[in-house]
Amino acid sequence: MNSPSQNASAHNSISGVAAGDVSSPAETTLRLIAKLPAPEGIEDRVMAGVKAAPRGARVLHWPEVLQPAGGWMRGAAAAAIVFVVAGGGWGIYTHVQPTQPARVIALPPRAGGAGGFSSAGAMRTPQTLNGPVVGQPTTAKDGTAQPVEVKPVKKATAPMKHGRLRAVARGSASGQPGVSAVK
Amino acid sequence: MEIPNSAVDELARTQAEEATLAALVSQYSGTLYRVAYSVLRNPSDAEDAVQEAFLRVLRHRDTLDEVRDQRVWLIRIVWNIVLDRKRRAKTRPETDDVAELARVLPCGGLSAEQIASAAQHHAHVLSCVGKLPAKEREVLHLSAFEELTGVEIAQVLGITESSVRSRLFRARNLMADLLNHSRSLR
Repeated sequence: MNSPSQNASAHNSISGVAAGDVSSPAETTLRLIAKLPAPEGIEDRVMAGVKAAPRGARVLHWPEVLQPAGGWMRGAAAAAIVFVVAGGGWGIYTHVQPTQPARVIALPPRAGGAGGFSSAGAMRTPQTLNGPVVGQPTTAKDGTAQPVEVKPVKKATAPMKHGRLRAVARGSASGQPGVSAVK
Repeated sequence: MEIPNSAVDELARTQAEEATLAALVSQYSGTLYRVAYSVLRNPSDAEDAVQEAFLRVLRHRDTLDEVRDQRVWLIRIVWNIVLDRKRRAKTRPETDDVAELARVLPCGGLSAEQIASAAQHHAHVLSCVGKLPAKEREVLHLSAFEELTGVEIAQVLGITESSVRSRLFRARNLMADLLNHSRSLR
């Protein structure tokens, strides 16, 4: 078991070692500053400052004159507060009109179940190109199949229905510019 | 006229509180001042910090009976106040001035030249302490107080004692590096 002096030295290890060890100049300087005495009269100044400072909130007590024996005044004050609060609430309730409910317009139900625009019976026909025409393979006399020339597909052109376009076509055919043909 | 019991109790309680506070002030104001001064290094700021610490005690006087070690509790309060002030003010301490250090620090039996040299050395050391990281610097400051044990420093800083030791070890190494570096530059 440790003796009290051993305990004290173990307890005081950090500052004790630091006190004996003067190798660190930082600790020497800081110890010099730490040992500086407090200025005289600091206790009085601090105590005066603490007394002059405002105290925290305290519970106010009833004055002796207004403290009746039965405590009926507290009850009366509480009743008055309740009366004022309830009266104010009732006044607000009676004076403020309730807001009118918003008018709702009944709309007829829609004919179409899905809603939105209808297609009016129109059908979409996709523009397609004429596919290549493959001829029947011809058989040679010796029985071997000969390759058949595949005709190139003509470029699909829209039918020229307008008169102006026809005139342009005629002009270009006769070697005249299309503009003069229009004239 | 009869004086009510509640008024007597209130008066007695106030007087007891004032007596307790006066006892605390007379017993610990010197220690608290030195702790505050070691960080702020400005006499009036340190005194203000001590006063603010006792005002906080007055504010929490209801919990005063629950405090186990009033000395460490008070040092912790003033330490927090001091750190808060230093963080907010960011002013240069008064004693960083070499002349002020030469005036303040004890110099028994030294010549004027030696005093000036010592003050210059202390100012240089303090500037190096200021370059340390906050955690290490705080432990180094508190370890300078011989009346504070490792356990008490740990209580003030709210850390474990082993953390105090490791931080102090790091602080010493860093200080040695800083001082060697500045010596090599000269």
